[in-house]
Amino acid sequence: MIRSSNPLAMEPRYELITQVLRRNIVAGQLPVGLVLLEGPIGALMQTSRAPVHAALRQLLAEGLIHRFEGRGFLVGRESLGTRPLRRDISEFDLDIPDQVDDALQTRGTWKHVYEQIEDQVASCQIFGEFRIIETALAEYLGVSRTVVRDVLARLHGRGLIRKNSSSHWIAGPLTARTLREKYELRAIVEPAALLLAAPHISYEVIEQIRERIDSDSTLSWEAMEDALMEHCIAKAQNMSLVEIIRNNRLLLSSVNRALTRLGLPPDDIALDQYRTLFQLIARHPIDSAAEYLRGHLQIMTRKSLSRMKIVGVISETQDFASYLTPL
Amino acid sequence: MTQAKLSAPPTILRRKLRVLGTLVTLLPGVREQAEADLGIEIVYETLDFVACQRSAAMRPESYDVYEQCFHNLDIVWFWGALQAIDTERIVEWSGISGLAKEGGISKYASRGQGDAPVRKLYVQPGGFLGQKPARHISMLPTVHNMDSFGYDRRVFGSVPDLQASWAWLLDRRAKGRIALVDEPAIGIFDAALAAEAAGELHFEDIGNLSISEIDALMALLENRRGQGYFCATWRSGDQASRLLHDGRVAVQSMWAPVYGDMGAMTDHFAEAAPKEGYRAWHGGASLSRHLAGSDLDMAYDYLNWWLTGFAGAVMARQGYYISTPERTRKVMPPDEWAYWYDGAPAAYDLLGPAGNIVVRKGALRAGGTYLERVSRIAVWNTVMEEYNYAARAWDHFVRRVNEGAA
Repeated sequence: MIRSSNPLAMEPRYELITQVLRRNIVAGQLPVGLVLLEGPIGALMQTSRAPVHAALRQLLAEGLIHRFEGRGFLVGRESLGTRPLRRDISEFDLDIPDQVDDALQTRGTWKHVYEQIEDQVASCQIFGEFRIIETALAEYLGVSRTVVRDVLARLHGRGLIRKNSSSHWIAGPLTARTLREKYELRAIVEPAALLLAAPHISYEVIEQIRERIDSDSTLSWEAMEDALMEHCIAKAQNMSLVEIIRNNRLLLSSVNRALTRLGLPPDDIALDQYRTLFQLIARHPIDSAAEYLRGHLQIMTRKSLSRMKIVGVISETQDFASYLTPL
Repeated sequence: MTQAKLSAPPTILRRKLRVLGTLVTLLPGVREQAEADLGIEIVYETLDFVACQRSAAMRPESYDVYEQCFHNLDIVWFWGALQAIDTERIVEWSGISGLAKEGGISKYASRGQGDAPVRKLYVQPGGFLGQKPARHISMLPTVHNMDSFGYDRRVFGSVPDLQASWAWLLDRRAKGRIALVDEPAIGIFDAALAAEAAGELHFEDIGNLSISEIDALMALLENRRGQGYFCATWRSGDQASRLLHDGRVAVQSMWAPVYGDMGAMTDHFAEAAPKEGYRAWHGGASLSRHLAGSDLDMAYDYLNWWLTGFAGAVMARQGYYISTPERTRKVMPPDEWAYWYDGAPAAYDLLGPAGNIVVRKGALRAGGTYLERVSRIAVWNTVMEEYNYAARAWDHFVRRVNEGAA
C-alpha cells in the first residue's frame, strides 16, 4: 500500500511549482534578472514542461517575473536596464519545503491511488449497495480525514457516490434501471458529440486506428471504445458535453472491467462493430457513423443487461476493499 | 427403438461425452440408455441451478453439453460460453411442438409472461436471442412442465370444484405452515403470483418486475414473515419432500416429482391447478463453445437421441413433458401415457424413474390433459432484468425465514 499523509499531494502540480518559485523569488534566493526556462525547472522539479509553463504564467500574472526579448522570463518586475542573468537554476540552492518536495514526488502516485479508489467504488456497485466508511478509507490509504474528504468529494462530483439520510456515503446498487438509463443517455449524447466533433477529427489518426484493428489481434473493443472517446467524441468543441459523456461512462467502464476480471471473454462482435464504425468515420458522411454508433450502443445495452446477471449466480465470496461495507 | 443414422459411429474405444446439468434431467436411467444406444461413455456433472449456471458460464471447457432451462440461458449465452445449434442437424426439429418454437401450443393458448422459451430460442443477428425464427438456436427444447403449489385438503377443503388460488401461499389458514422454493428465478414468482392473487399488489409485467415492484413484494413478504407465516424454504425436491414427511407444511411450492414421495401426507396433500394459471419452465440442451469436429458430432448425436422417445418417457414418469410427445407416445405403455398426458385415471399403480410407486391406481392428474395445462401458463421461470437486485433481496428474506425457523 502506498502511504502518504501529505495533503499537498492532492494539489495540482503547477500549484506546487508556483509555490516553490514564489517563495524563492520573494526570499531573494533567485536573483533579479535570472532567466527562467521551462526545461531546466522541469528537470529540477522532476516534472514535464506543461505544469512549469502554467506556474510561470501564474507568477507573471502576480508580477514576480516578466517577459523579455529572449526565450523564457526574467525574475523581478520589468524595469529598464535589467540584464539577463543566464545561469543554470540548479546552481542556486533553492528552498523547497519538505512537504512540497514530498508532494511533488508522490503527486503521480496519488493520481494512481485516486483512480484505484474510483475503480473499486464504481465496480463494487454491481454487487449491491455499500457504505463507505471514511475512517476506514483514511486507514486504507494511510492519509488524513481531510484528504479522504477530497477523494469523496471528487467521487461525488463524478456521480459515483451519494449521501443517504443519515449522512453516510453510499455507493450503488447498480441496477438494470441505472445501467439502462446510462446507456440511453450515451445513445443520445455520443452520436450528437460525434457530429459536433467531425470537423476536428484527424483522419490520419483514424487510419492508424483502423490499421491497428486489422493488425493487432490482442486489441479489445474496450480499447476501441476509449479510442473513439479520445480521438473522436472528445474533439467536440463543447467542454460541458464532453464532460457529461466522460462522467456518464465512468460507471459503465468500471462495470466492464469488473466483469472482465470475473472472466468475461472478449467480445469479437463488438470489436467488429468498432471496425465498421471507424470505417464509416473515415470513408462516409459523419451522419452514417453517428447512426451506427447509436445502434451499437443499443446492442451493448442489451448485452450488458444480460452479462450483469452473472453477479446473481456468483457466491458471496467476493472480496471488497476494507472501507466498503455491504448493506 | 428406431435410430437415426449416427454421424459419429461408435468405435472400439468408447468416447466420452461430458454433460453438465441439474437433477431435473440428469437421471441414471437416461444416461445408461443413451450410452447403450450411442455406444459412448457419458459423464454427468450434477449441480444446483445457481452453481450450474456459474459453472456453465465460467468453465465452458469443463463440459460438452449443458442441460438447463431456457431462463438460465441468458447469463451463459452472453458470457460467450455456448455455440449455436444448427437446426439442420436436428433430425426431429420439425417434430418439436409449437410451445417452444412458436410461443404457444396453439394460437389461443396463453403465452405467459417472462422468459418463454421462444423469446430465448433463435439466434438473431448480432448474437442476440429472440423469437424471430432462424436456422440457428441457442438451446434444443426438451423437457418442460407447468408448476404450481400443493395444499393440504384438510386445511383448504376438498370439494370437487374447489378453485385453488396462488393466494393460498399467503393464506391466514396456513399461517406458520407455508414454505417457498428458494430460487430467485422461481420462488419469487410463486410469491408474486400469490401477492397479485391475494389482491395485495399489482404488477405491470410480472415477468419483469421493476425496482419499486420488487421492493413492494419484498416488503409484503417481510411483513408476513414477521407475523410468522413462513416455516421454511427449500432448494431441492428432497427438502420439499422432507417438509411433507415431517408434516410441517399446509401449503408450499412444489415440483412434480415430489408428489411421488410425500409419506404420511400422501392422502392429504394435493397438487393445485390454480385459477390464475401456472408458473411454467422449459428445459433444453446446449453445446459448449469449445466443441468441434468429432466431439461436436457426438454432442449432436446425444441431442438428437434426447428427442427420439425414451428420455421423454423417463421424464413423463416424474411428471414432466417432452417437446416431441409423439415420439415418446410410441415408446410408452398406453395406460401410462393416458395418465400423464391425457388426464385419464391411472389404470394401475404407476412407477417413477427410480422404480417406486409414484401414482396410485385410480388417481387423476391435477389440471387435466397436457393441452389443458399447457394452455394456462401465467408466467415462466425468469431471470428478469433486475435479477441481481431481486436475488439479493430474496436471499435476505430467505435468510431471515430460516433464522426464524432455527
